[in-house]
Formats: sequence, C-alpha cells, structure tokens
Amino acid sequence: MSSIRSFERGGIRIRDDRETDQPLPIANAFLPNSAVVLLKQHAGAPARCIVRRGEFVREGMVIGRGEGRGSSNIHAPVPGVVRDIRRVPLAEGGETEAVVIALEGSFDRLGRRMERYVWKGMSRGDVLRTIKDRGVVDVEVPGQPLFDLLSDRESGGLLILNGVESEPYLRTEASLIRERALEIFDGLALLAKVLAPSRTVVAVDESCPTEGLISAAGTETPPEIIRLKTRYPQDMRNQLLEAIVGAKRKSSASALIIRPSTAMALHEAVVLAKPMMERYVTVSGGAIKRPAVLKVRIGTPVGDLIEECGGFLGPPARIVLGGPIRGFSVHDLDAPVTKTSSAVIALSEREVGRLRRGPCIRCGRCAEVCPERLDPERLFRLITNRRYDEAQAWRLHDCTLCGSCGYICPARVPLVAAFATRLGELPSANREAGR
Amino acid sequence: MTGARNLVLGQAPHIFHPQSTASLTWGVALALSPAALWGIYCFGAAAGFAIGASIVSALLGELIVDGLSRRFTLVDGSAFLTGLMIGMAMPPGVPLFIPICASLFAMLVVKGAFGGLGSNWMNPALAGIAFAILDWPRQMGAWLLPRHIAGVVGVSGATPLEFVRQRIAGLPTLADPLGLLKAAGFRFSDLDNRVTDFLNQVFFSRIGSDMPSGYFDLLIGNKPGSPGELSGLLLLAASIVLIARRMIRWEVPATIIGGFAILTWVFGGLQFGTGLCSGDVLFALFTGSFLLVAFFMATDPVTSPSTRIGMFVYGLGIAIIAFLIRVFGSMSEGSAFAVLIMNCVTPLIARGIAPSGRQEAPAEKEI
Repeated sequence: MSSIRSFERGGIRIRDDRETDQPLPIANAFLPNSAVVLLKQHAGAPARCIVRRGEFVREGMVIGRGEGRGSSNIHAPVPGVVRDIRRVPLAEGGETEAVVIALEGSFDRLGRRMERYVWKGMSRGDVLRTIKDRGVVDVEVPGQPLFDLLSDRESGGLLILNGVESEPYLRTEASLIRERALEIFDGLALLAKVLAPSRTVVAVDESCPTEGLISAAGTETPPEIIRLKTRYPQDMRNQLLEAIVGAKRKSSASALIIRPSTAMALHEAVVLAKPMMERYVTVSGGAIKRPAVLKVRIGTPVGDLIEECGGFLGPPARIVLGGPIRGFSVHDLDAPVTKTSSAVIALSEREVGRLRRGPCIRCGRCAEVCPERLDPERLFRLITNRRYDEAQAWRLHDCTLCGSCGYICPARVPLVAAFATRLGELPSANREAGR
Repeated sequence: MTGARNLVLGQAPHIFHPQSTASLTWGVALALSPAALWGIYCFGAAAGFAIGASIVSALLGELIVDGLSRRFTLVDGSAFLTGLMIGMAMPPGVPLFIPICASLFAMLVVKGAFGGLGSNWMNPALAGIAFAILDWPRQMGAWLLPRHIAGVVGVSGATPLEFVRQRIAGLPTLADPLGLLKAAGFRFSDLDNRVTDFLNQVFFSRIGSDMPSGYFDLLIGNKPGSPGELSGLLLLAASIVLIARRMIRWEVPATIIGGFAILTWVFGGLQFGTGLCSGDVLFALFTGSFLLVAFFMATDPVTSPSTRIGMFVYGLGIAIIAFLIRVFGSMSEGSAFAVLIMNCVTPLIARGIAPSGRQEAPAEKEI
C-alpha cells in the first residue's frame, strides 16, 4: 500500500467530464415494466429457452437452460407473463433470442437474508454446482461462466480482485468496494475456499477508498491491497499482472482475475441463494444529468435507467453499454442491461466529436501508447492490404483491443475496428495462445 | 480488409483524444503567426502579399487535387500551413509569381501527386521553398533591411549569413562572425547597441568579458531575412508552447539543435582561422532559417520517423548535413535542403530501426 504501481509501457491518462474520480452513491433502480432478457449473456452458446409465450414466470425462475461449456442458465429477473420471445440485436454484434417479461404478480423470494456463515460448511463441489445453477458469469465481456473459470483451475496461483476502473466514467467497481465491502470480502473468501490461492490481491485505483474492505476482514487477515495508477488500460489482464507480478513473470503467472461485481454475484448466489438476475451499473456520461451507480434487474431497458438519473442534459450523440473506450454502442433506448453491462454511458455531441476520419499522418502516437508494444500503424496497413501473414508476424494476435491507439489517433483511423474484425476471423486457438 | 467497407459509425473507442489532425495543423499555423506578423511589420505590405499569395495558391492547389479525387480536405489545415510556411520563407518584396509557383509545386507535385496528406514523402513546404531557391536564385537572395533600421521600407541589405559568407574569403585571420559583421559595416539597430552596452556595463564587465553587438538584433529579429527566419525569440516561444502541449515532438528539434550547436562550436571556428572549439554557436542558431526549419518543418510527422530512436537519427542527420552545407556548400543557407535529404532517408530509418517491441516479434509465421 505504500507505493502506487503501474504497468511499464504505453498507456494514457484519459480524463472525463466529471470533476471527481471518487465512487458514486449506489441506489436501487425501479423494476422494469417490461424486461427483455437475452438468452445469450455469456461467452458460449445461447441458453435454450424453456418457457412459452403467455406462460407465467416467477422471480428467479430458470427460463433459459445453459447448453454446454461457456453457456449459462438464464433466470427471470422479475415475476410476470412472457409477452414475447423474439430475436433482438446484441450490442456486441449479431443477434440472439430474448424473452420479454411483462411485470406482474408478487415477489416471493427476495428479502430473506440467510446467515452469513452458511457457506463455510459447503464443499467445493457444492459451491461449484450452486454457482452453475444460479447462472453466475464473469461480469466482463464476453462473460465466461464462473463455473468454467473455477473448475478448470488447479489450486494455488494468484487470485486478484480487480477493482481498477481505468475507463473514464466507470465507477461500478470502486463504488461497490466502498459500499458493499462486506459482501465482496465474503465473495473473495468463497473464491479463496474453492481455489486455495497462494496469494490474494485486491487491486484498486490510487484514489479508491478501501477502509471498508479492511474493516470487513474483521478478525481475519485483511487482503493485500495494491494501489494502481489511474492510467488506461490498467484494468486489463496484462497490465494488471505487469503491475502486480512484474513484466517478466506476467506470462507465466497463473492468475484468476475477478471483478468486485462478480464477487458480489457469487456472494449473492451462494449466501443469499439468489440467481444472477441483478447487476450494478454505472449510469453516467457527459449527457447524463445525475450520474449514479444503480442496482438493476437484468433486462431493464437502458432508457429506464437514464430516466432514473434525471434524463439527458442535452441530446446524446451516442449511448454505450460498458465504458466509452471498449464498450458497445446500442441502437436505441430499449437495449436491455445484461450480465456483462458494467455501465450505461450517454455521450454528448461534444465528447464523441464529429468523426472526421483522415489519412494516417504517421505521427507514431499509436505505437507510443500501445501497452503491448505493438505498432498499430503498421498492423493497420498490413491488414488493409490483406497481408495477414505479415500482420501475424508483427504480433497482431497480441492485440488486446484495449483501444488506446484508437483513442489517441489524431486522424481517427479505425484501428481498433480493423484489429477486432481481423482477430475475430482468426482461429480461436491461435487467439488464445496470444492472450 | 474485409471489415473496411462495412465499418459502421459507433465502433469503439467512442471518445477520442482532443487533438486531431486538424487541431494540430491549425495549432502550428497559429503558433507561427506572431513571427509572420513581425515579418510584415518589419518589411511592410510586400511581405504580407507574399504570404497571402502563397497561402491562397496553396489552398487553390489543394482544391484542384481535391476536385480530381472527389473529396474536401481544406479544413484539415495542412494546405494553409504549407502556404504559410512557404510565404514566410520568401524574401520580402519577392515577385509574387515565385511564392505562387512554389506553393502550387508543393501542393500539386509534392503532395497531391503522391496521394495527399500522409502519403507525401517530402515536406511540401520545404520542397516548394527549395524549388523557388533553385529556380530563381537571384530573386530568392534579394533581401531588405527592416524598416525601423533603414528608416524606410525597401532598402536592400544582405542577411547576416550572406554578409559573412561574402567576406569570409578575403578574411584577415582571427575573426568571428559578429566581429566580421561589425568591421564590414553591417548595420545593427540602435536598440541593439544600447542593450549590448547596458549588459556589458552591468554584467559582462564584472566577469571580465565583453559581449559584441549584434546578438540582440539576431535574437529578436532586427535583421534582413525572410519573415519566418526573422525573430528567433518568437519562434522559440511558439515552439515551447507547441512542445509543452505535445503538439510537436521535442526529440527532433532537440537533436537538430544539439547536434548543430556542437558541430558549430567544434568546427565552426575553422573557417575564421580561430581553430577548433571556438565556433560561434549563438550566431549559427539565430541566423538563417535554422530555427524555423528545426522546430516547424523537420517535425512534420508525415515525413519524419515515428520512433524515438528514429527521430534521433533523423535529427542528427539534419544537423550534420545542415552544418556541411552551411560551411562547405555553395549556398549560405542549407537547413531546408538538409531536411529534404533526411525526408528521403526517413523510410530507410523506419525500416532499419526497430519500432516499438519488434524485437519480441516471433520469427515463425505459421497459420
């Protein structure tokens, strides 16, 4: 805690329109009148729909059954009637089936808090089965099921709670660390039980308040807290490991990196027996009147959340699910919150700027900020000329799509889009190898 | 690339760094404007006409290329900046067809023919200036005295560099550039004499040395020359702002100036017969278009290397060539040509010097 660490090379300090980098207050969002629940909110295949139109669903009931590795159960976030089952576009691209539930009936399972120590008697297998049943997935896109992440791992290694928010506007994790320290510490303890890590680290921004986390530990040993510089993309895997174990050891480090939001969902699934049907979401951006972190039912349309935050300051130019650097823009205000939506960011016209794409002026800033030591200018040129083999030789597969190059580029060359498209076309095994 | 055509608006990242190509170019143009205004003040409307004609024809040239390639790029400011730089390098009172031809050559042949901004391999402004110097050497070497020195507009006078150069052949041994200027009757302003006297009285006499007159004039720009090379002080101030705001890189001008200063100090005295390590660095830096070229033209991102080591190599090359041209070449001024030569070498530098992290690139190329 004595010193503030960071990664070695590249990166960029990105400021947003809010003056403060402090966490936001957490509030409960209203229930949606109509929830649009996607059947694909995770990395693998869509869940198989097991409800029919017109059917009544209870709160927390399974409505989509996970099919195979990477897939996960989907639960009804609100009680009500299945109005429709239709195909809707995914923010990440493509489309999927969604169950539309009109809110109706009573809430029968929430509010009953179980004892905090109950899980300590559970076996590793019990815990794993519980989180599989309750559809807990990693809250980072693409949403790896937590069951897959945990059951694959051997014991030992590094467990990192990643509370770093290096994208502008995002406050979800820092706010959770401040206000839900007890639950997060519980989730972390659960993970420690399953994984038996050799070292547990809580990584937070330099400005993040952590008193809660230390007092949550109570009589137990508090976790090792490492403060990291507010510098994009400090929150990404490679940059985290570089800061925590060093550049030389990062590739050999066996580490499970978990967001506080995931730890929270884990805690709720195991301790409160609650399926993953809620998400903490930052609602912010230059076009939002009163930014906040909201506890939101999955399937709530982003428009409802914006309304709850006082609406727009001015006409929004773009609405993004996730952060403004790596997030996905959505078509309209009906787009629903999913398990992997960390934020709803409404950007003003001024922030987005008029996208005036120009020719590359070879300023070299992209290579300067690339945290993976790539040469984005060259990679872009190779890709546009279809010289894919050469792009591979220049380590295109090491690109983590952090977007630093795209952010800094004065000519607004669509670097990230080109890399994303090309990486998406690569055989996945090859991509994994580069990770 | 398959995705290039169907890239939709709205792909990540959704926000950008405030500096865009346009803001960078317009920023540099704005930073240059005080120096240009000083030139117009010194030489009257004629200097203004040269700058204006050059800007208008550069914009026109860009517009012609835009028309042929069906796009509109005047807003990115690069044509304006090229025109401004060419205009600022023209001797005041130059026949207007020269800046017009130089700007059109720069925009049509050097920039447009190679594909416009980003694709040219020579700095268009420098190429236009070199074109003018080579085609009309007489007109490009006709200089005027600033009006507050001569008393009226339009009195001709050689630049300090040319003055020294013309007289260096029949030189009595053991001299230095400023001493030479003084002995040959080069006109310094009254202000310079007063400032020099003042500094000598209160400061230099106490440490047992004596500042020759002339430095002050060279620094603030009381001398014959083009508007762009006139005021070292204004150029320095502008470049400090640009570097502080990270609009130009410090590496290139630092290496050029450092390299050039060391070379001048070590070898610059030889031609005056004063031996090694006796060159007059300040005189060398504040005469000719050296500062303008080092800070504003050599830093053009398109035609300079993009890696730090590459920038050092490039800057050092410019320093060495500029020094050689100045001392041994047939022209008094060589920094523009030095940059053009290094522009041509830039692709080689980019290829030869490993860009960031290339060392780690795996050799195997399977898939």
